[in-house]
Amino acid sequence: MPVTILSGVTSKFGELWDVSPRNLVKEVALAAADEAGFALDKIEAVFVGNMLSSSLGGQDHLGAFFSEELGLSVPAVKIEAACASGGMAAHLAYLAIKSGQYKNVLVVGVEKMTDHKPEAVAAALMGAGSEGEREAGATFPALYALIARAHMLKYGTTEAAMAEVSVKNHFHASLNSHAQFTNRITRQMVMESPVVASPLKILDCSPITDGAAALILSSKPLKKGIIISASQAATDSLGLAQRLDLTTLKAAVSASNKAYQEAGVKPEDIKVAEVHDCFSIAEIIAMEDLGFFPKGEAASAIEKGKTQLGNNRLVVNTSGGLKAAGHPVGATGVKQLVEVYQQLKGISGKKQVPGADLGLTHNIGGSGATAVIHILKK
Amino acid sequence: MISPVKIWRNQKKIREILNQNGNIVSFTQVFVPPQGFESQAPYVVAIVKLESGRRYTAQLVDYDKKNLRVGQKVVTVLRRTRSAGDEGIIPYGIKFKPLI
Amino acid sequence: MDAGILGYGLYLPYYRIKTAEIAPVWGKLASDIERSLGISQKSVAAMDEDAVTMAYQASLDALLDAGINPGKIEALMVGSESHPYAVNPTSTILGEFLGIGHSYLATDLEFACKAGTTALISLAAMISSGTFSTAMAVGSDCAQAKPHDILEYTAASGAAAFILGTKHKAIADIVAITSYSSDTPDFWRRDGVRFPSHGGRFTGEPAYFSHVENCGRQLFEKSKLTARDFRFAVFHMPNGKFPKEAAKRLGFTEEQTAASLIVKDIGNPYTASSLIGLAAALDQAQQNDLIFLVSYGSGAGSDGLVLRMTKNAGKKRNGANYQERQYRKKYISYLDYLKFRGKI
Repeated sequence: MPVTILSGVTSKFGELWDVSPRNLVKEVALAAADEAGFALDKIEAVFVGNMLSSSLGGQDHLGAFFSEELGLSVPAVKIEAACASGGMAAHLAYLAIKSGQYKNVLVVGVEKMTDHKPEAVAAALMGAGSEGEREAGATFPALYALIARAHMLKYGTTEAAMAEVSVKNHFHASLNSHAQFTNRITRQMVMESPVVASPLKILDCSPITDGAAALILSSKPLKKGIIISASQAATDSLGLAQRLDLTTLKAAVSASNKAYQEAGVKPEDIKVAEVHDCFSIAEIIAMEDLGFFPKGEAASAIEKGKTQLGNNRLVVNTSGGLKAAGHPVGATGVKQLVEVYQQLKGISGKKQVPGADLGLTHNIGGSGATAVIHILKK
Repeated sequence: MISPVKIWRNQKKIREILNQNGNIVSFTQVFVPPQGFESQAPYVVAIVKLESGRRYTAQLVDYDKKNLRVGQKVVTVLRRTRSAGDEGIIPYGIKFKPLI
Repeated sequence: MDAGILGYGLYLPYYRIKTAEIAPVWGKLASDIERSLGISQKSVAAMDEDAVTMAYQASLDALLDAGINPGKIEALMVGSESHPYAVNPTSTILGEFLGIGHSYLATDLEFACKAGTTALISLAAMISSGTFSTAMAVGSDCAQAKPHDILEYTAASGAAAFILGTKHKAIADIVAITSYSSDTPDFWRRDGVRFPSHGGRFTGEPAYFSHVENCGRQLFEKSKLTARDFRFAVFHMPNGKFPKEAAKRLGFTEEQTAASLIVKDIGNPYTASSLIGLAAALDQAQQNDLIFLVSYGSGAGSDGLVLRMTKNAGKKRNGANYQERQYRKKYISYLDYLKFRGKI
């Protein structure tokens, strides 16, 4: 029995000073229920994706927290897998429906990051890595910088090529009313932006963002409905040091292989994808890990526009990705699914990929310790 | 303040990694430090493959610009790692020092 | 006495700062300072170094030099005036990282700049009495000085470690030990206060010179030797002038003090000063050479030692010597110096 997506909604992403996590979740949950055509009381379980509520806000027990906010008393639980919390919440919701226990399930991803100063947020985000990495002061930009340098050494990837990822994603985001950044940027702007952790510069890095996204999943088949034809996950070592090859995320390769197999499709069949560009290098590596381009060739393909709106093979990160749409950590995985769902439904407006009928989402936790891959089919 | 029990338990593991040679696998210079590391910025973080085959992530110390390269030979040394504040037990740990 | 040095090691921080870098900040002429202090540069510890980390690196060196297993150490004493804790021993943190085990006597010593030599002579006596067969004495300091104070030019960092055992395997036998103590408030630091205070010129004749000269003469008497008998004379070096003057007064020539005058390279690393000076002398000493050492600690006191090199002197050493250790260094600016002083 396939799992159908009945609706998908995201909030505006950005620095939302006036808005609390309660407001965010209520907004997207109600909108999702509305789109699905029923009231929230039809929801039988709530899966919440979030990373930092405890370390930054002192609030655990988010399942109960939000089910109260939504006026429900159904089973509700927080799922945490660092930046893959949203994707993992969707994965578990998918399994819950597949188990036959629930018919309609709400998945919501939410993160409130701007209540705290950036240094504190950076420190909290390091909870996604290993203790040794925290002890070394290895922030997330530093970890992906270590990965970038390895990729540059092995494949000759350049900083200029990485910059093109950010340029493309800002272009896509300029067409997305919900994105944090809708300004276009140039390669030169990226190259001249301040260095955060060499060789990554500030415009190579996703921002600190508030936001929420919601999906309603159902066991009910719909004519011309969008179904989840694969939902797979994998893990790898928590810390970077233990990885034998820094130029690939083994968990992403493994999860995507399982996903292609589950869905009975090949990488070249995918028309639209939302991938985890927490840093520009991450999108390049994702292209290779997902089998879209051979190892070492994704960077130049991106430079040539082969993943940008307008090309008819594959369009990546129409939302603007994490870089330009913003990266409210726990919400991103759900937002990615909402984006692909809307693309397949044909309601993506200015950023619509014509004829998109098969899409993929790639959500990563930490420096690759968790990978969650979904394939959506029309 | 970091738990003294955690520090005590972790320090037992450090001895096996001290005073070992290795080579830099990758490195980065961090200009934007997280909370707790502000006074140290900028600093270099490296992944090193030690003689024993084990890989480790730590800061690089006592380096000259020319030591910032993949393949640079280093040795593991004992240094203070995180801020102990005014009252806490001082955490000691591993850092890498370039060998000429 | 039946005690000797089986091996030794030292540690110097990577960074140095020149007198010429500090003086202009305070509107002084570097040449004036260099002339009056006889110091042109000093070693600077990085912000993640302290007496423990430096003691560790020096001890590793010493264990390698002596060729003994850390588990053999039965007593460990660390002298410092910058122990990281007011209450919590440096010696056991060091012992744990070295893998000494648990069956050992550990204690921290404090007596300004002579705590390291006091550790040395105390352990020598304990070995001589048969209480322990192998022990290690360490002097380690990360000195701090108030900005603009004259000590800013001299207060440095470093560590030295000595493995002691019975004469049987020693490279140097300890022939005589002595000590001279009094209550002389020349240099002190109250608990909770960050920087030390001193009595200006009072630190000269009534303090350093009185104790070093008296201890020196005591040592000649005890060992029944005169200045002429020694190849090397090592003194505590608070600046470049005092040790030379003390040496002269005790009848030593410039040649005898040359090898140990480490103050010209690294300034005054407090408890490690005379100990690193001793290491530098040992690097060059040959069989039957005699070494004279008198340290000084404010408050005040001096320890004295006479060493005679054995047939094991000059045999291949596993550790690096002083000249090699002080070779690799980097000069820093006053700004970086201020930054480094904010310890992690």
